[in-house]
Amino acid sequence: MLVRFLARRVAFALVLVLVVSSAALLLARLAPGDVTSQLGPFASAGEVAGTRARFDLDRTPSGQWLLWLGRASRFDFGDSFLYNRPVRGLVARAAANTAVLAAAALAVATALGIPLGMLSGSRRSAAAALIRGLSLVCLSLPPLLTSLVLVFIAATTRWLPAGGMTSVDALDMRWSAWLADVALHLPLPTLALALPIAATFERLQAQSIGDALQQPFVLAASARGVAPRDLIVRHAWPVSLRPICAVYGLAIGALLSGSFVVEFVTAWPGLGRLMYEALRARDIYLVAGCAAMGGLFLAVGSLIGDLLLAAADPRLRERRAG
Amino acid sequence: MAAGLVAALLLALYLRSDETPSPAAAPRRGGQIVASIRGEPRSFNRLVARDQPTELLTILTQGRLVRINRATFELEPWLAEKWDSSADGRVHTLHLRPGVTWSDGAAFTSADVLFSLQAVFDPKAQSVLADSLLAGGQPIRATAPDAQTVVIRFAAPSGPGLRLLDNLPILPRHKLQDALAAGRFASAWSSGTPPAELAGTGPFVVREYQPGQRVVLDRNPRYWRRAADGGPLPYLDRLVLEIVPEQNAELLRLQSGEIDLTTGELRPEDYVPIRQAEERGRLRLIELGVGPDADAFWFCLKPEVKGKDPRFAFVRRPEFRQAISHAVDRETFAETVFLGAAVPVWGPVTPGNRGWFWPDVPRYPHDDARARALLAGIGLEDRDGNGVVEDARGTEARFTVLTQRGIGGYERGIAVLREELGRIGIVLDIAPLEFGAMIQRMLACDYDAMYYRPVASDLDPAGNMDFWLSAGSAHFWNLEQRAPATDWERRIDTLMLEQAASLDPERRRQQFTAVQRIFAENVPVLYFVAPRMYYAHSVRLRGVVPSVQRPPVLWNADSLSVAP
Amino acid sequence: MKRAGRWLLALVALVAVAAPWLAPNPPDRSFSNSLYAPPTRVHVVAWKPVIYPQRLINRLERRFQEDVTRPAPLRWFTAGRLVSVPEADGGPLLLLGADAFGRDIFSRLLYGARASLALAAISTLAALLVGALVGGIAGYAGGLLDDLLSRFTEFVLVLPAIYVALALRAAMPLVLPPSTVFVLLAAIFALLGWPIVARGVRAIVASERERDYVTAGRALGATPWRVLSRHVLPAAAGYLSVQATLLLPAFILAEATLSYVGLGFPDTVPTWGTMLQDAANVSLVGEAPWMLAPAAAIFLVVLAVNLSVQGTGRAPVQLEP
Repeated sequence: MLVRFLARRVAFALVLVLVVSSAALLLARLAPGDVTSQLGPFASAGEVAGTRARFDLDRTPSGQWLLWLGRASRFDFGDSFLYNRPVRGLVARAAANTAVLAAAALAVATALGIPLGMLSGSRRSAAAALIRGLSLVCLSLPPLLTSLVLVFIAATTRWLPAGGMTSVDALDMRWSAWLADVALHLPLPTLALALPIAATFERLQAQSIGDALQQPFVLAASARGVAPRDLIVRHAWPVSLRPICAVYGLAIGALLSGSFVVEFVTAWPGLGRLMYEALRARDIYLVAGCAAMGGLFLAVGSLIGDLLLAAADPRLRERRAG
Repeated sequence: MAAGLVAALLLALYLRSDETPSPAAAPRRGGQIVASIRGEPRSFNRLVARDQPTELLTILTQGRLVRINRATFELEPWLAEKWDSSADGRVHTLHLRPGVTWSDGAAFTSADVLFSLQAVFDPKAQSVLADSLLAGGQPIRATAPDAQTVVIRFAAPSGPGLRLLDNLPILPRHKLQDALAAGRFASAWSSGTPPAELAGTGPFVVREYQPGQRVVLDRNPRYWRRAADGGPLPYLDRLVLEIVPEQNAELLRLQSGEIDLTTGELRPEDYVPIRQAEERGRLRLIELGVGPDADAFWFCLKPEVKGKDPRFAFVRRPEFRQAISHAVDRETFAETVFLGAAVPVWGPVTPGNRGWFWPDVPRYPHDDARARALLAGIGLEDRDGNGVVEDARGTEARFTVLTQRGIGGYERGIAVLREELGRIGIVLDIAPLEFGAMIQRMLACDYDAMYYRPVASDLDPAGNMDFWLSAGSAHFWNLEQRAPATDWERRIDTLMLEQAASLDPERRRQQFTAVQRIFAENVPVLYFVAPRMYYAHSVRLRGVVPSVQRPPVLWNADSLSVAP
Repeated sequence: MKRAGRWLLALVALVAVAAPWLAPNPPDRSFSNSLYAPPTRVHVVAWKPVIYPQRLINRLERRFQEDVTRPAPLRWFTAGRLVSVPEADGGPLLLLGADAFGRDIFSRLLYGARASLALAAISTLAALLVGALVGGIAGYAGGLLDDLLSRFTEFVLVLPAIYVALALRAAMPLVLPPSTVFVLLAAIFALLGWPIVARGVRAIVASERERDYVTAGRALGATPWRVLSRHVLPAAAGYLSVQATLLLPAFILAEATLSYVGLGFPDTVPTWGTMLQDAANVSLVGEAPWMLAPAAAIFLVVLAVNLSVQGTGRAPVQLEP
């Protein structure tokens, strides 16, 4: 049953990736201007024609699509105009960087949001009110502003590097020192990404645990004499996870496809920033590659989310079986 | 006695360690600086890519036969130590500097020069430099009687002469010969090339390129140039080009000391925070002078496309554009758009181009009445009292102006223009577009008017022929004409070709002055002000010789050092 | 807290509606001698509020000085405005300073509330509606329909929206009237926002579907629609309200991003998103913090929305036949 479910999802994921990258290819052709705009307004006709031929822009959109499809089946996703190297390697490296950031942000957001939400949703104390207030503040600040503020703070206090993934000297470092260097650059973009998500988790958790605590079975357990702490953690919490799981999968997918605002402002070389640069430069094959990777990540994220949902709510598992 | 000696010794040591730098202290050897660049380098091969990061990398890692000093504009011997020129200026014999080696140890010879020229004019290579190395429309030819001598032949007398060779980086034959022979030169040395494959005669070598992050350059131990004291150059051990596409982030990093210098000039709105950083002792703010380029405003004047447009009947009249030039108060323009840090100009050549600027270019003083009279003279009056002038058939003088979205200077400039022209009855609707869309429309003449700053590649007008000649690819108000559309464009064509072939600098200047006069009288493009350029770098840097041309500081990278 | 939120929202709405009256200056008027001017300070002289005109000392250094020899009284209820100072007397009255063009930031803030909030509110509502509908159907129906809708949702999510916007822009005439821009932007935002909503609603509905009260309701003969709309969807109300608070500021800022590709209002119509962009371009956060007023405004609005929707969302409890 699980195998059939997974197989279906994998098949759908592949279809999604294919459709998304094809759509990206087509849209890139439709949008005005093409990669030759990057050559500047006064490039020679030969230069323009040569570049267009190099990226198959002299063919019809469907012809180019078929060509791309043929090459993609052999895992050749074309070249990038901006970086002058195969799209495959660029997207893979950027995806890895984004994955690192996403994992860190998710970990921080979960570690902050879930416990704080449980705390603020299950009682009415001053601490709960403070947490709620902070959450509201974090939620009300758009990620652009958060990242700008964090970069500004980092630049003026110089506690942390104000951007990038590695320092200049990372070139000559050994593995361990390099890891430490990346770890130093990680907090800034992680915080900028994690704070709104942590606040979302906190709010959702608070709300759903509040709802769950009002359920009849919880009242019954309380009447049976179960301690409040156990009530919350062992009885109410698993049920309250439903909306969180729904958002979790989406959060994973969104983080993985790269929040380009944060990556852009903090100069983290991830997928979001790569996609943004590719879109701006109309680097057609790179756009298709990034869209494909973004689609893959989203599919993986929602799959994980659905699996989490099934884990949290056994009734869903049964439904899937049926 | 012994105690006294010891005391003296200790005192001497103390005095020695207390190194207050004397004014004539030699620059310190070693250290690294970080510069920021706005985009990725497209290639390590300047012959096939013309973007700014590639140009910068070439300046840092490759050498030329001769160099134009960016501060004095004098021609300097570089890889060519000395040269003899024939009387008619068509044959130049260059003697190469002996003992120069490539960064990988191979000897630098005249074969490398011949190879580079061959690559430029190879049809499969499609070099972007092919158009700039012509004399009388013919490619420059070179022969090498021996390994240390190159004879350059121009097919026709060339005004700029040897200065053209400043455009040609000499590439290593032993590394690229195979690619050229196999027809792969156009994709050779692309930005994905492993640094070990590259070789150059410049002060630095590429150590690593991390896409999206930075390019790291180490000093070239085999660099031929020597410092004044005979020691090796460059002073720096490492130069890092950090890729920071966003200008505000760049500025922030400059202020915080993460970056030592930028490769672009400051915007007028950045003046205040930089000034404050200067007062805190972090940065040095320098004024480079008036920039060589000014913002341009023009209408598309291509008869093949605009002929049927009823407005074209009056737009094509020079009086229309002259009226606009009269209507704009250039002082207000300078104050609003550049916060006062700009000077009025009336043509494409600004006072920043000292060698070629003509101070007596015809001016159009701010005079609304004169502007209205000129418009009335070609039949444009406000007949229906709605504040917009129209011609006898009722066609209103209402135009859509394209500009690049997101550049504060353009947006302010076009807003001022809209106000100024509104007073004489010409209405502008502003359509800011994203860069790619704007360029596409410009190339297709799919616009009414445009406001943009095209950057000239060369201060010498002979290097900008594609702008001046009617058939040129940068003659943007009427690109690539088959035959000159107007009489005055024909006259400019003739004059420009003459001055490019003339050897007498005085005669060239006279001819170019005549060109500027014709341009100012017919005003195909309107220029209003040329901004003063400001620049900032960290106080660590020594040996800075700023230039108005890009890159403002790194053109002289081999003489830069850091403070002890 | 909820009441405070609602009052704040009502206040913001009132301010937006009354902007032409409350704003001391027209939003598109450029005062050429007041570029980057600091806020005009209101002093009290002889029990009357006055301002001193700001003299420009140095443009590049953005230095101004108050001319204390010419106090200008504030004029109330003149020229259709609550308070203003005519330029002839020594105005303009710049309560939050001026931007790069010399336009009054305070007035633009008030006027900007209209475009930004209206657009964001309508887009959010549309996104919530479409998302709830699609997510509800997907979650309730299950099976193939659920799979198809979910994959379609993911597809729209990953699509490079900016290219859609660019392609759309290219198909339109160069100069668009503000009303067309409004409709276009609202449509694009709704299209961008609904998949996010649909995902969460689908998950909630899918789990609610198995609840006893739903089975009971169906056994009693209620149509799927009735069960969906009356019982199951309200369970997602909590999630929807949280999503609303996330989408609203995102849309306000997205308007600024889309204006980059030319799909924005003409510069005569101020919006909070573009004002913020201009502020970010000037890199003087430390010196001219008043330029970040739109950020504070966005923050307040979103806070108000957050406060108002707190606690919304019933626990799904009883069934109703």
